Amino acid sequence: MAFLQRASRTFKWIHTRYAGHPFRLATATLQSLLALHVFWKFGYSVEPTWGASMLPTIQVMGDHVLISKQYRRGRGIEVGDVVAFNSVYEPGETVIKRVLGMPGDYVLRDTPGRSNVMLQVPEGHCWVIGDNIPYSRDSRHFGPLPMGLIRGKVLAVVFPWGERRSIGREDLKPVEN
Amino acid sequence: MSSGRIFNKFKNGISPPSFIRGFAWYSFVIVSWVPAAIFFKNNIGAVGEVGGESMYPYLNPTFNEGFSKDLCWISKRNPAKNLQRGMIVTFWSPSHPEVLSIKRVIALPGDKVITKAPYPYPTAVIPVNHVWVEGDNKDGRKTLDSNHYGPISMNLITGRVTHVLRPWRGPVRWWEFEDSRRVIKGRIQDAPHFD
Repeated sequence: MAFLQRASRTFKWIHTRYAGHPFRLATATLQSLLALHVFWKFGYSVEPTWGASMLPTIQVMGDHVLISKQYRRGRGIEVGDVVAFNSVYEPGETVIKRVLGMPGDYVLRDTPGRSNVMLQVPEGHCWVIGDNIPYSRDSRHFGPLPMGLIRGKVLAVVFPWGERRSIGREDLKPVEN
Repeated sequence: MSSGRIFNKFKNGISPPSFIRGFAWYSFVIVSWVPAAIFFKNNIGAVGEVGGESMYPYLNPTFNEGFSKDLCWISKRNPAKNLQRGMIVTFWSPSHPEVLSIKRVIALPGDKVITKAPYPYPTAVIPVNHVWVEGDNKDGRKTLDSNHYGPISMNLITGRVTHVLRPWRGPVRWWEFEDSRRVIKGRIQDAPHFD
């Protein structure tokens, strides 16, 4: 009963504060929208994905991924993590790839089997490759990725809910001989 | 209430309900504006302090004489749109992702740049959606710029310096910047793309 009384009192307060006060209501709405925007930018976001480059981890169409912005600009990213970053060449486009090299690491420059040229990932950059190597445009084409472009780390596929699964560096396994 | 005059703006004349009276209420009112402030800082503009001497003599001209740092207004509205040679931009340094750098745009996509010392090649052609940035400082050791890390992606750019606030020098007249003689202007259609 106490809970109901409390709820009714809160409702009454909201009513007296906002009913008939269009300016107050508009301000509160704007503040809520901005709070959501900040949460989306610096907390978590759920975004649809498209493309074959991350098969079999992320499907070609229809998957929505949960992105944690805590890892923006490459904070705390390790080899094997899947990251979402602003495309190097396309303005306003987000790309999802897996990190295969951190600053200082030596990585294979081209597709395995094509050449054996290794290069060292420069300071502040990382080496990103799609899981579906033949159908991915990644660091093999545009070179090391500046970590300042990283928007966040992909934690899981959350939609469709029936196919939800977490994504992480555990997916990366050493080659079996 | 003695502090009434200050908070009347937020209160709009109505008294808050009894159970969150006083301190809690005013804290809530202040905190509710924090997202708006963050949005403003990230999407409209912010005041920034210039830390180093890489833009000498345009910014921090008295770097060696004292501790005073220049303040500038950084516009965050579509900073990478319609970039021109001579504009001063802020961006996440490619070599230090948590550091905001402030440099001048020297060359645009399609341009050919005759590079300076640490760059491994004698010339560089700027690819699509990239710019070549350099500090104004003539001493190449005092500025960490595109001669070290190459052309930068426009998606790294977070803002554009539009005014110098302290000492007051008003709007940045970037169009008065004389184009570098190490730049051969090209067409954007000829800019390389990784495809």
